[in-house]
This record gives sequence, structure tokens and C-alpha cells, in this order.
Amino acid sequence: MLLIRHSCRANSAVRTTSVAGELFVASVVICMILASFGDAVDPALLSEVGLEFAIFDFGGELSVLAMRHWHLLQLLLAGAAGAFGIFVLRVFAAGLLRILRPAGRRAIDKVPISL
Amino acid sequence: MESEFLSAGFLSALFAIVLIDLVLAGDNALIIGLVARNLPKNIQNKVIFWGTFGAIAVRAVMAILVVYILDLPGFMLAGGLALVWIARKLLTPEEQGSENHLVKGPATSFAGAIRTIVIADAVMGVDNVLAIGGAATGSVLLIVLGLAISVPIIVWGSQLVIRLVDRFPSIVLLGGAVLAWTGYSMVVREPLLASWFAGHPATKLVAVILIFSISLAPWYSARMSDQMKPLVVILPGVLVWMLCFEIAASVWQLQVDYLLATQTGEYILEAVRWLGWLPLVAAYLWVRERLELRRRRAVRG
Repeated sequence: MLLIRHSCRANSAVRTTSVAGELFVASVVICMILASFGDAVDPALLSEVGLEFAIFDFGGELSVLAMRHWHLLQLLLAGAAGAFGIFVLRVFAAGLLRILRPAGRRAIDKVPISL
Repeated sequence: MESEFLSAGFLSALFAIVLIDLVLAGDNALIIGLVARNLPKNIQNKVIFWGTFGAIAVRAVMAILVVYILDLPGFMLAGGLALVWIARKLLTPEEQGSENHLVKGPATSFAGAIRTIVIADAVMGVDNVLAIGGAATGSVLLIVLGLAISVPIIVWGSQLVIRLVDRFPSIVLLGGAVLAWTGYSMVVREPLLASWFAGHPATKLVAVILIFSISLAPWYSARMSDQMKPLVVILPGVLVWMLCFEIAASVWQLQVDYLLATQTGEYILEAVRWLGWLPLVAAYLWVRERLELRRRRAVRG
């Protein structure tokens, strides 16, 4: 029996992990998949088939970024940066949506406009 | 592939090994306690000492064996696939309070107790040693470090590990992802497949998504609504379908690239490749719905 099975929270980690934790792991997984996308395309191919391929092929773009050579620690750092970026975007988007939402007709902070 | 000492590659592999040691650590203390509980007090202390020693010795022997076994053709692929299964099992919640099936009951003799402890540790440690062997990428130093980290966990660190994963359950998710990543890198490093992967670079994309979709299925399926649950089977199924055509193209020398197709048969093959999975998915959804209806009727009846 694994040690993690002794903890209820760790045993059902798929349900108990916090949103931030899930966002971080999901970002790391996406970075891992993108790194293998870069790994699947030979950068030498870019010079053979030209700029068009480099522009339109996503894998080619990523291999230009040399993501294919990234190690686990680099992927973790990139995942953390990505998760932080998404978190900041979410906060800003929530703030923006709150500003754009009209106040209720009888709300106290409604600016009275009378002609 | 040996990484330079303290390089990014070396530290990454070391981090992966520490993470694997944490999430795949077995409960040796519980087994030793279960086996030795009915023995006399003076023999109990001996069993604890020699049981721990035996567990460490078995780990060391298995680690040495893994280094040599993974060099044999075919074993890297088998190890990678085994890691995918281990990652999936790690993320699947288990019933609480399930009995430890490795120990049938308390031992009646010193030799019997030691034998049970050593066998139980060997069974529990296979996944750990295999994952460390895969993450170490052939570096003996990393395997020794992995062993050196897992030994204190076996002997003293169980409570610490439990507290750590209880506070941060995302360690388990990250451990599953690292196991899947290690499994993928083992599959693509397989010497028997290296030239095939070089000739079919797109299959690496299919392979990585297939491996992650299988091993992380318990995680993303827990977040899906009931209507979306069939995707857990359909996504890997479609990817396997695509891989089968790539394999068939290599084995029977078929033309499966639509840009190079010239004959009617080749165009039909292309159509089957890109559209043939749709009736299979429809059939799967129909059968699933019928079974679900039958189950609901049986519950009501």
C-alpha cells in the first residue's frame, strides 16, 4: 500500500487539490506536451521548406523556441509562470467584467441622470 | 545519456526522482508491524532491524537490475508503458480502509517474518525502482541518489510524507504528470523504435497526447460532467486508431499520406483513416447508452 493512501486528501487528490494547484499542474502538463511538439519537428526542416512552414506550423514555432531541449525544472518554471499569468488575467478579467456590469436600477451607487 | 553533474538535466532528473520517491513510497513500517505483531518482544526488535535491512537490500538489488534490464531492447518500451499504468493507478482514488493484500497475517517465526517483509517490499518497490530507472536516463549516480533518498523514507520518513501530501495534494497530481512524462520519454528512447520515430515524427505528437490522456484520465474525468465522460475512452481510442494506420503503413508499406496518394485505393484508405473512427464512436456511444438504460431499469426494478 502506498503511503499517500493513508491521507484522505492525497488519496483523492483529483478532487481535493486547490484551484491554484490544479492550474499549476495543468500548465506544466501543457508545457510538457508543447515540448514534445517541438521534439517532433526537426528544426533543419524549417530551412528546407521555408518561412511559410515556420509561420503556419505550430510545432515548428515551438522548436524554434528550443522547447524541445527543456528539462523538467525548466518546464516546471514555465508552468508556474503560465499559471501565474492565467491567474493575473483571470483577476483582471473579473475586475473588468464587474466594471462593465450595469448596476441595478434601484442600486444606491447608481448615478442619477435626470433631464 | 549521462547528464553533467549539477547541470539543468541532472537537477531535473534528481527532482523527478525525489517526486517519484515521495508519491510511490510504500508503507514498509505498516507491513513490518503487521508481520511482527504476534512475535515475542525480543524477536520483534530483530525482525524490525533485519526487515528494514532486507527491504533496503532488495531495493538496491532491484535498482542495479533495472540499470541493466533497461539497456535490453524492448524493456524501455515495456517500462514506459508500465509507468503510464502506474501513473493512472496513482491518480485513481482507492477505497479507504482496504486491507493490505501483501500480508496475509502475522508471522509465527523469525525467518517467516523476514521472508514476508522482503517479498512485500520487492512487490511494492518495483514501480518505484522502475520509475527511478526511467527518470535517471542511465546515470548510475542518479540511481544511487534515488536509492539514498528512498531509504530514509522507508525507515523514518513515512509520517513526514503523509503530512506533506495531505497539506499539498497537488504533489500527487504533479507526480502523476512526471510519471507520464517519464513514461513518454522511455517509449521514445526505445532503441527498437528510434528509427521508426525518426521516420514518423508526427507519431511522437500522437504518442505524447495518448500517454497523457490515458495516465491523467482519473484527474480530468473527475472534472467532467456525465455527458462528457465518454471522452475518457473516445480520445485515447481515436489516437490509437491514428497510430494503427501509421504502424500499418510501415509494416505493409501502405501509402497513408493524402498528399502522396495517387490511386483510388489509397484515397479510400485515407477516407477510412480520417472518417472510419466516426461510426465506431457512434456505436460506442449507442452501446454505452443502452447499458446505462438497462442499469437504471435494473436499479428501479
